Amino acid sequence: MSGTHEPGVPQRGVKGVGSDPREQDRDVAEAPGKIWFRDLDEAVIEADRCIQCASCVAACPSDSIGIDEDEGRPTLVKMCTGCSRCWDFCPRSGLRYERHLELAREERALEEPATYAARADGEAAAAGQDGGVVTALLAELIEVGELDGAIVAREREDEPLRGEAFLATSREDLLAAGGSIYTQTMGLGRIEALLAEGDLGSDDPELALVGTPCMIQGATALDRYDHDPADPIALTVALMCTRSFEHGRLLSRLESFDVDPAAVETLDIGEGRLRAVDETGETLLEADVDAFDAAGLRGCDECADFVGDAADISVGNVGSDDGYTTAIVRTETGEAAWTRAATALETTAIDRPTALETLADWNRRRAESILPREFDPEASVGITYDAHREAYDGTDREPEPLNPARVHQYEEWC
Amino acid sequence: MSTALDIVSPSWLEAHRDAESVVVVDVREERDYEELGHLPGAVNVPADRFRDPSSVVDGKLPTADDFAALLSAAGIERDDTVVAYGDDGGALAARFLLTALVYGHEGRLSLLDGGLEAWRDGEDGSLSTDRPSSDPTPYEAKLRADAPIADRETVEAAVEGDAVVVDTRTAAEYEQSRVPGAVHLDWEDLLEEGRLRNEATLEELLAEHGLTPDERIVLYCNTARRLSHTFVALRHLGYEDVSFYEGSLTDWVRAEAPEWDPVELQAQVRHYADNGGFEAMVDDLGEDVLGRLKLIGLYHQKQRGYFMLRTRSPGGILTAEQARTIGEVADEFARAPEEYGGPDQNPVFGDGYLDVTTRQDVQMHWIEIADVAEIWDRYDAVGLSTMQACGNSVRNVVGCPADGLDPAETVDIQPVVERVSQRFLGDRHYANLPRKFKVSVTGCHEDCARSSIQDLGLTPARKDGRDGFVARVGGGLSDGPRVASDIDLFVEPDRVDDLVAAMADLFADHGSYLDTAVNRLRFLVAEFGPEAFREELESYADFAFEEPDETLTTDYRGDHVGVHEQADGRSYAGLNVPTGRMGGDEFAALAALSDELGGGELRLTPNQNVLVPHLTDDGLERLLEDPLLERYSPDPGPFTRGIVTCTGREFCNYGIIETKNRAIRWARELDDWAEAAGIADDHEAIRIHMSGCSASCAQPQLGDFGLRGEVYRDDYDSGRAADLGLGGDLGNDEFIDWLVGKIPIDDVPGVVKATMLAYDADSEPGESFTEWTRRTSNADLREIVTDGPARDPPAIETEVR
Ligand SMILES: Cc1cc2nc3c(=O)[nH]c(=O)nc-3n(C[C@H](O)[C@H](O)[C@H](O)COP(=O)(O)OP(=O)(O)OC[C@H]3O[C@@H](n4cnc5c(N)ncnc54)[C@H](O)[C@@H]3O)c2cc1C
Ligand code: SF4
Ligand code: SF4
Ligand code: SF4
Repeated sequence: MSGTHEPGVPQRGVKGVGSDPREQDRDVAEAPGKIWFRDLDEAVIEADRCIQCASCVAACPSDSIGIDEDEGRPTLVKMCTGCSRCWDFCPRSGLRYERHLELAREERALEEPATYAARADGEAAAAGQDGGVVTALLAELIEVGELDGAIVAREREDEPLRGEAFLATSREDLLAAGGSIYTQTMGLGRIEALLAEGDLGSDDPELALVGTPCMIQGATALDRYDHDPADPIALTVALMCTRSFEHGRLLSRLESFDVDPAAVETLDIGEGRLRAVDETGETLLEADVDAFDAAGLRGCDECADFVGDAADISVGNVGSDDGYTTAIVRTETGEAAWTRAATALETTAIDRPTALETLADWNRRRAESILPREFDPEASVGITYDAHREAYDGTDREPEPLNPARVHQYEEWC
Repeated sequence: MSTALDIVSPSWLEAHRDAESVVVVDVREERDYEELGHLPGAVNVPADRFRDPSSVVDGKLPTADDFAALLSAAGIERDDTVVAYGDDGGALAARFLLTALVYGHEGRLSLLDGGLEAWRDGEDGSLSTDRPSSDPTPYEAKLRADAPIADRETVEAAVEGDAVVVDTRTAAEYEQSRVPGAVHLDWEDLLEEGRLRNEATLEELLAEHGLTPDERIVLYCNTARRLSHTFVALRHLGYEDVSFYEGSLTDWVRAEAPEWDPVELQAQVRHYADNGGFEAMVDDLGEDVLGRLKLIGLYHQKQRGYFMLRTRSPGGILTAEQARTIGEVADEFARAPEEYGGPDQNPVFGDGYLDVTTRQDVQMHWIEIADVAEIWDRYDAVGLSTMQACGNSVRNVVGCPADGLDPAETVDIQPVVERVSQRFLGDRHYANLPRKFKVSVTGCHEDCARSSIQDLGLTPARKDGRDGFVARVGGGLSDGPRVASDIDLFVEPDRVDDLVAAMADLFADHGSYLDTAVNRLRFLVAEFGPEAFREELESYADFAFEEPDETLTTDYRGDHVGVHEQADGRSYAGLNVPTGRMGGDEFAALAALSDELGGGELRLTPNQNVLVPHLTDDGLERLLEDPLLERYSPDPGPFTRGIVTCTGREFCNYGIIETKNRAIRWARELDDWAEAAGIADDHEAIRIHMSGCSASCAQPQLGDFGLRGEVYRDDYDSGRAADLGLGGDLGNDEFIDWLVGKIPIDDVPGVVKATMLAYDADSEPGESFTEWTRRTSNADLREIVTDGPARDPPAIETEVR
């Protein structure tokens, strides 16, 4: 018995945890394994486990999932047909991400992924978080015509430290978007809209997708099954990550240290410390990053993918000197991009830094201890609704009843 | 108003809760109160007693008597200080206090800041599971004359600038719809980590929204829950002039908004036909006009700028002239542009085709705004309409297609169908119900207009020698299928339209306009219960309700395919239109044949078929020889005869699988197979109903085989699939159960064959397919279904557990 949705005995009545009035009076038993957005909503979003990777938004074939403007989380915006695809691609429910990473390794990774300490020079180095490697690499690839653009992040104008997805199509764009933003952007779910607004002049654009490892998991999983939303993604770059933050909580945490978020120009997290720096380069705060635990996305605790194993290229600062970026080039696509952009970077091949391995190990152990289900890279990719419930029910990560006010469903055709 | 309304901290409560006159009220569910524990000494008044949030009937204030009874039982006196708490951020506790305020409570009313959680984090923090004993009090509740309740007029005045209207819902909800001019202040913005923010921050926040203590303020949300919290917070901060709109947005939306007037809308759209077409229309009227166009029969296709046009035919009856017009319009305008395949857009049907639907409408695709004026002109000339074929209105009335033909007919339904149609056509008041409203009328004794899946289904009945109908209410298929309830109500033919109006009024009053997932009439019926619903309905009707002496339905008729004798000795030919799709030119040709050989009339059936009535023997003979009848046969193979599909992926935004072409292919293949396997003659029709997704457009719950589109995925592959159920039978009010999920789509014909062979081998003499599926256990059926297709390796999703 393995797989995503094997048949079981159909049940009459209610499956989810909330009391859905639609199910008060059913005269038809539901198909075994049927999954609706509502199930995802209760198991992930309402349960406060969503990591805002936007895989579900991209996965939905009827574009039924939108992004809640306020909370930056997925929300149903039109009829859900119960096709289960959002569940299937959600790394916090139907997608066994560790299996997906394993398959990605088997199917796409180079025999010997290469590790570099690298940095850009000039503007890119100044704009970037660490070595400015991502900025320089993408700018180069766009200028030589390898890419038409890149989905990156920039700070929103109206809200300090809150990121939004941004389609960069030039060096200037990338310089403006350099540096890390410690909130999620749901970029994977915005590709179509950004392309529509952006007008790249190509029907078949080739883009880089930059994001946290979880977003890259979703993107590469969609690509593995040849789903359209992944079509424009020609290169994936993961930003090594132990956690991302919930914007509102991040701000109130900063405020509790008497730091005005609006004054913060950059945040930097490295070696267990969080540093906030203002426009003039003055340090506003340096604190143990653990003090910000409560501001982290709760779903990040279940993530063991610090390095972003599904990406073509992963970048971080751990294990490199200040001003350098540690980059892991993992696939042929990544290798080709890296080579093509070599002139823009100063690169030194290095061994996998011990500090990186240590952090990755710690991250995995944390995930395994918190994850209510088993962490099993050999099990099947899909996790059924029932299996999820079995593992999560009774824990503090169990599904929460959905708030009916958030569901706007309507039938359009009949 | 003198009663104090404020917010108190856990430490205040710690210090004061032992006072004689302080009562602590816990508004959580009874189970939580009992099992998880509550503040020591707190009484329990669960929120669902003073409001019912899951209810589709809106959460209005309880009656004064009910509320008094609750407080009396809880041992509360009118001048007690009441401190309320819950575990939801305070909204429900605030709602309780607000209710007490409105009903004239005299003591102080306080909300515990941070609710249960804050209490537990506090110094004492203890919980108890003991229920305090309290003697009932003589509590009296009376709506106070100066209760701070705003009605719609007040809000309208406020919108005009008389006061500030505040939307306390989330930004997303506010974006979606709101009272014009309302400012947005999410009730949770007043909180930080569950506690009220400090006063300075709050004052700043409120001032930013233009809310100062000297303003008049009116609050609303969806169900008057969230606004309660903001209300208490504002009063706590010393705002005096605050009121709340109890009907909330629900009530507001229901006001007859002019942009929902179908007549007006049609005139506007006509204008754009000659003035810039689609883009100009969207530029001027906004993208959201696309949603409203349904009201006049236009559905935006998934291909931008093109529409599906739905033409209504009440009771399915079309004159030859009308049918010819529809056919010609389809042939001329339902043509795909080059970029979508042009004349070869569809490998089976080519181009310029139309679809007959299960509601006896006709649909066609690729219509452009530039063409609609011309189409409507032609329609007007022959008395056709597209108005309210869609949208939240009284939909095309389904009628028994053999009306006036059937020798055993009881009531002539045509005048009834006409009257109901006319009464609601273009009526602005009834064009904007909470949801669609489906009515059917059957005149024969075989329920061929399918009363059990309508919001209101009428079948023949008799009372004191008078002919009429008996009503069934609250049936339907999509989200949460339900068989209609018989409410033992007799109605005379000329009262039917009054009954429909009464029901629409009831629907408008009680149905939720906001949560569209739960606002079909059947949820109301389920909630009231059939008897209470009947009573409520009677209060809306202008005639006294009677019970029928006898009902006349004896049987259930699946379809009208074949040649049948009429009461007047002539014949009608029921032609099978596989999946309901026909070339526009063919439809026009059939109209011409009916003019020439029959009575100049065509009828559409709820199985997506067409009847040609009033044929003389000679006419019949000539009709049967016409080449058109090779494809649209009165004697098709069993699968071709039984297949029903929706639009599917070809045009529908939601469709996961392509349906029509696939169905035609399957039906041919399966008919050939049935012939070869020697089972073709044992079955008149084998009904495969296939929907492109889980919406119920093809009525999969009624098929021998019900299918709905899905996707499947295993470790290496994914693809299109279908959920399968067996044995739907409307004649016995049986819907299918979904038996197996996610069968890869190409395996479905194999599954059908295996199932038919198993039925053939296993059934007892005379046992119908449905009976057999009901007798056979689901486990066995699943075995048959999943073992059928030979697959290597089997898709994981379909393995038997
Ligand atoms: C939430 C988060 C947590 C991180 N945690 C660690 C960590 O614990 N250890 C570690 O070694 N490294 C971590 N990093 C990575 C690190 O901060 C740098 O991004 C990385 O070293 C690359 O630096 P660079 O100078 O080469 O990139 P840059 O030249 O600065 O380019 C980075 C690119 O990423 C885009 N981007 C930034 N933030 C986001 C975002 N949130 N979503 C999508 N795109 C974004 C930018 O727009 C830019 O194009 C984290 C990054 C993020 C976003
Ligand atoms: S239709 Fe969209 S929201 Fe519904 S189950 Fe499928 S992917 Fe999820
Ligand atoms: S974790 Fe990702 S896929 Fe899952 S619900 Fe959140 S955004 Fe969607
Ligand atoms: S820690 Fe994992 S889950 Fe959280 S943002 Fe980073 S990659 Fe995503």
